[in-house]
This record gives sequence, structure tokens and C-alpha cells, in this order.
Amino acid sequence: MHRLFPEKLVTVITSDVLEDKLVASVRTRGASGYTILRARGAGSSGEQTAMLDIDTNIKMHVVLPPERMSGLLDDIERLMNKGYHMTVYVSDVSVLGPEKFETAMS
Amino acid sequence: MSALSNLLIPAVLFFALGFLARAIKSDLRVPQDLAKVLSIYLLMAIGLHGGYELGKAELGTAVNSVLWAIILGFVLPLIGYALLCLTKRVKTMDAAAIAAHYGSVSAGTFLTAIAFLDNLGISYESYPLIMLAVMESPAIIIGLLLASWSRQRMVATTTVSGGAAVMGNDNGTGNGHMSGILREAFTNGSVILLIGSMVIGAISSSSSMSKLFPFINEIFMGVLCLFLFEMGMEAARRIKEFRKVGGVLIAFGLIMPLIGGLLGIAVGHFALGLSEGGITLVAVLGASASYIAVPPAMRLAVPEANPSFYLTLSLGITFPFNVVVGIPLYHYLATLIAA
Repeated sequence: MHRLFPEKLVTVITSDVLEDKLVASVRTRGASGYTILRARGAGSSGEQTAMLDIDTNIKMHVVLPPERMSGLLDDIERLMNKGYHMTVYVSDVSVLGPEKFETAMS
Repeated sequence: MSALSNLLIPAVLFFALGFLARAIKSDLRVPQDLAKVLSIYLLMAIGLHGGYELGKAELGTAVNSVLWAIILGFVLPLIGYALLCLTKRVKTMDAAAIAAHYGSVSAGTFLTAIAFLDNLGISYESYPLIMLAVMESPAIIIGLLLASWSRQRMVATTTVSGGAAVMGNDNGTGNGHMSGILREAFTNGSVILLIGSMVIGAISSSSSMSKLFPFINEIFMGVLCLFLFEMGMEAARRIKEFRKVGGVLIAFGLIMPLIGGLLGIAVGHFALGLSEGGITLVAVLGASASYIAVPPAMRLAVPEANPSFYLTLSLGITFPFNVVVGIPLYHYLATLIAA
């Protein structure tokens, strides 16, 4: 049996213009890393086809220990309150090798 | 009739083909990054070409055209904002974001106008090209100022404590935010690429530039066809959101380019004293709405505005209108005033 450890996965789907802000917040809130994918879809701000710079979305994944999650969520919530369209959800995940999620990015 | 035959140039026809392909739900697709690659090429080629020509141009007129580009870039959004607010049907934040698009310019429309003039064998000055490079930034700035002004007015009229708290939060970070956005207005990718290419074109030796002519001249119109083909598909997709946008905004998307075009003609003729071709290009600068530089800036800085409004207007309504009706019309008016 594998040794699995509980962590939180924060997923954010939003316009790629917010990438810099999100990355900055991931860094300052002590996450160990992040993964960004280019995404397309449709929602309250219309269709996002990723064909042009103006309508490209990103999907960002951050895995981090539960106790570090709330700072990141505060930052994201602040962005949402300003009116940015974002889809954000948190899931419970099990990881192999939990050490890597403990060290913050340099 | 002659107006119609003027439209029978491959670039415009490919725009129509792309539009049609999307309208009849063809499965035709272009690779995802094609438009991004093509627009980099187009900006680089037009910048090199224009810079090369500008190297031979008069400094006085060049400085004058930069000045007028800035004035147009500031005045057009103010007119647009005032018009939109007068209708009382558009939210002020949406009005600010939309207005910014109309002060800025569309390189695609500008290049189509060049193809149009080339087709008729009409010469044009290179000054409008500097204006193209300059006009991206002022519109973004004025759009931001309009947005923050509307935001303050909204705070003043709302007494809801929750709303005020959110706004207060906004203002706290407002300054850093504003300077970041201003930096973005001037360091915007397309502005840097266009101005940088112009400088390279202007200072490079003639013999080394002539080696680049196949890249910047011979294949240019072919690439423009590809680009407009793709933009035709994008426009057709945007136009489907017509109903969401509503009659007031659609009317604005058709009237605003006419106002901008007339102002452009006035600037081209009275202020800069350009030829018929040059006046047409300045009119197109005034009439066109940005869909490259301004939308990301507005999305970042004015999150309260609905992106599907300004994208549908600039890409789905004003862009096709200018390509099909606007350019021949501005050219016709330019010939009248130049004569």
C-alpha cells in the first residue's frame, strides 16, 4: 500500500491577464509551486476560445498544506470582490511524497 | 458600382470567406496561435516598412502627427463615453471600457485600408503609421481615468456599507494598481514591437534593408489575407452575441466609427495637410476600435465591465463595418475634401 498524505488542491480558472497577480500571491502565501494550463470555455464573460490574446483563459493548480490555504484564498477573494470573473474551487487530494509541498518557493 | 469593385481585393474577400465559413458552421479551423503569430509578423513588417520611409520624412510633420495622434487618442474616448452615458442604458463602467477601445486603433483595419489604397494605386504618407503606434496608449490611459472617476462617483452615490468597504479596499491598492496599468499602457507588446521595428527600419542602412524587402513587402499582402481570414471567423463568432449586446450598443458601434472617421479626416486635412491617401489612413485611425492592446488592459483594470460588450462591439460590429463600408466611405470623403 502506498503512503498517501492529505493536502488541498486549489484550482482557479480565469482570464490570463490575471496570471501575474495569481503567481505573485502563490509565492507570497508560501505555496511550494503551481501549474498553469491554457484553457478555453464559456461563462458569464462570454466565450473564451484562446484563439486571440484577448480571450485566453488559464487554469491554475496549486497543491498546498491545509494550514497555508486560507491566505491564498483571501487574496483570490479580494480579486473577486474587485469584479474579476473567476471560478475557484478547493478539493481534498492525497499526495505521494508530502515533503515537496512543505517548502515554499524561493 | 466602383465602390463595390474597390472591395474586390483578396484581403477583404478572405475576411468575407472567414466570416462566411463561421456563419455556415463550417468545420474549418486554423491552428490556435495562428492569429497571434500573424499579428506579430504584420506589426513587425509594417513597422520596418514605415520606419524605412520615415527615415526620409520631415521631422516637423512627424512631431505634429504624434501630437495629433495623442489628441485624437484622448478626445475620442471622451466623446464615446459622453455618448454612451447620454443613452442612460449603459453602465458607466461598461461605458468607460468601451470608450477606451474607440480611442485606440485596430492595426487590422489600418492594413486593410493600405491594401485598399494600394489596389487603387493611391500613394499615402508614412506619418499615419507613427500615429498608429502612438494611439494605443493614450486611449488606455483615458479609459482608466474614466473608469476610476466612475468608480468614485459610484462610491459617492452608494451608501451601502458593504459596497463602500469593498470600494475602500480598492482605493487602498488603487495607486500601485494605477501605476502598474500605466506602465502596461506604454510597455504593451504591440506598442513595443511596432515602435521598435520602426526604429530599426529608420536607422538600418538602405542596403541591409533592401535584403528584407521580400519579407516586409512581397509576402505582406499574402499574410494579411491569412490574418483577415482568421479575423473574419472571429468577427462572425462575436456577431452571434448581438442580442446580448442590445440595440443601443450596436448603434454606438456603427455611429462611433463615423464620428471618429470624420474627426480623422479633419485632422488629416486641416492639421496635417496630408494627401488623399494619408487623410484616408488618419480617418481609419480615428474610426477603428482596438481589439489587440486595449481589451487585456481593460480586463485587468476595469473588471467591473463586461468583456463580451466591448469585444463584440470592436471585433463583431465596428471592425467588419469599417472593412466593408467605412474604408471606401472615408476614402470618398477624403477625395472630396482634398480636391
